[in-house]
Formats: sequence, structure tokens, C-alpha cells
Amino acid sequence: MSTAPSADFLAALHDYQPLVRRVCRLYCQDPDDRQDLFQEIVVQLWRAWPRYVPQPDAKLSTWLYRIALNVAISNLRQRTRRPTSVSVEDEAWHLAQPTEASAYEPEETAALYRAIDRLSDVDKAFVLLYLEDRPYEEMAEILGITQNNVRVKMHRVQEKLRRQLVHK
Amino acid sequence: MELDELRRQWRQPEPASAPAALSTTELRQWLAQQSDDVLTKLRRNARVEMAINYALLPVLLGMAWLAPVLWVRLCGGLLALIALVCIFYFHRKLGLLRSMSDPAGDLRAYLLRLTTGLRALIQFYYRFTLAILPLTCLLMGVMALTTTKRAVTPTKIWVIGALLAVLCAAIYLPTAHTTKRYLHWLYGQHLDRLEAQLRELDEVPAA
Repeated sequence: MSTAPSADFLAALHDYQPLVRRVCRLYCQDPDDRQDLFQEIVVQLWRAWPRYVPQPDAKLSTWLYRIALNVAISNLRQRTRRPTSVSVEDEAWHLAQPTEASAYEPEETAALYRAIDRLSDVDKAFVLLYLEDRPYEEMAEILGITQNNVRVKMHRVQEKLRRQLVHK
Repeated sequence: MELDELRRQWRQPEPASAPAALSTTELRQWLAQQSDDVLTKLRRNARVEMAINYALLPVLLGMAWLAPVLWVRLCGGLLALIALVCIFYFHRKLGLLRSMSDPAGDLRAYLLRLTTGLRALIQFYYRFTLAILPLTCLLMGVMALTTTKRAVTPTKIWVIGALLAVLCAAIYLPTAHTTKRYLHWLYGQHLDRLEAQLRELDEVPAA
């Protein structure tokens, strides 16, 4: 297989790079691990690209979410076992720094990030797709379960987060 | 703060410390690098081991066909048979690994493919290792009978056969136990995690 990425792949990656970065942001707290995961997802996207067939009723983003989540959750990468240079606490605080549109204190946002970090990898997938504003129909397509199941599980994940925030 | 509120700020541009956009040069470097995931490593090892077996096969067949001594010919034949079984095993292993390496498809289907594939690999490796055991004992028996300078009587054949059967039975259980432990060390941690994730996804919530 040639290692030269095609122009259409580069264009798609350019458009959707923020999406992949957000997946990595949710699954890895350590910046080095996050970069490793980003690299692995990009390599897997490139490998799968020749088999991607655009369909009128299927979005490219759905295909990208599937691969990015499959790689992040299956986590078959060989971890380097280096000590984590950034703690969950530091990273949550860094992510929680107020932006222009944020009406919340950084501490509140950091607490939510910490609560999300304590969820299982599968629950994080629900949170990610919810934060990405994906409709239940698309979430079901990405995760391979029914829409009803997505709805109920999403509700449970939100409950878990609320409980964690109350008991923090 | 709830998820709804976080959603409003989630898609906003990353902070200034976020990594820069990916350049084409950087991407080319990544693609040229060998991935270090478990499946890629397993595929690479399987290809090397299969190539070794392919290279050994003609040598062993030549030994079986041309060697002047009977026991060398028999050993050559048996080892060629083992090499053939290995080649079949590695072909099957590569096929399984290829099907497991494609991350396209929904999460549930992907997890199912990974767990089924890993289970099949483990079972195949386990059975293969245990099947090699009697073959090795048979090889030892052939060597013992063909290298002896004394006359080979039916009683002697029975005694050697019985001794080897006892030896095979004695090392069977420790080998089975060690192989199981080794396979669990190699794949168990991944398999347990993937199966737990699949169960979590499959769990039907009560209405």
C-alpha cells in the first residue's frame, strides 16, 4: 500500500481533524497518550479510506466517528507505560478554562470533566456523541444498538454523572 | 453544571496550547511508520514465522526423500508434516487478524469481531500446541527404534510405545496448564476488557 495520502483523504482529514481531536480529548488525559491515539486513529482512517463508499443517506462524519471510537475504545495500542506527566486534575482544570461563551466557573466545568473521566469507555462514547450533538438515530448507527437503547443508556449516563457530581 | 451546558462550549476552538493542524509531511511520516498496535505486531510475527516454515519445508522434504539413513528420512517426513500444519495455522491466523484489523463498522459489530477473532486465535493456538505433543513423542519413538543397534522386536516396540505414551501423558497436563496461562497473559487482558465492553453495550436496560 502506498504511503502517499490521496488528495480527497487529506481534504476530509483537514475538515474533520477537530472531530478526531475531540474524541482523543475525551479518551486521553495525558497529552502524549492523546497524540498517540490521534496518530493511531489517523493511520486507521487512512487504511480504511479505500473501502469508504460515499452513500447518499450516510454521512462521512458517521463513518469517522465509528472508526475513531472503535480505535479509542478497543485500545489495542501497546501502551508505553510511561508515567503520566499531567494529572486528571490538571487536565480537567486546563480544559475547564472559561471561553467567551462560558457562563460557568472553571471549577464546575473541571468537576464535570473529572466525572466524565471516571466513566467507562463505553459510557464515554455516549457522552461524546451527546456533546457532539448527534441525533439518537446517528448514535444508534455508530454504536450498533437500537435508538431506544441509546435513549435509555444516555439517560443512565446522565444520572451517573449527576450522582458523581453530588458525591464529589 | 450538566452535560447540556458543557455541550454549548464543547465544539468551541481548542485553547492556544492545542497541537497545530496536521501537515502533509507529518502525515506522510506517520503513514510510513509501522503501527505498534497488538494486531499489527501479531500479523508481522505470523508472516515471519510462516516464511520460516515455507523456507524449511523443501529442506525437510529433501531430507525425507534423499537422506541415506532411515531415521533421518522419517524425522524429515514428520517435521515436514509439522511445518505443513504450521503453515495452515499461520494462514488461518493471518486471515483472522486481517478481518479483525478493519475498524470500520459500528462499535458493537467491531467489538464482536475482535472478541470472536481473539477467542478463535486462542483456541487454535491451544489445540495446535497440544497436537504437537504426541507428534513429538512419535518422533522420539521413531528415533529410538531406528537408531538402536540391537534387533527391534515387537516387545521392544510395545515397551518404547508405552514409555512414550506415559511420558506424553505426564507432560500433557503441565503443557496444557502452561499454554493456558501463557495465552491468558498474552491476550487475556485484552479479551476480558473487550468482552466486558461488549456486555456493557449489549445490556438491555429495563424499561
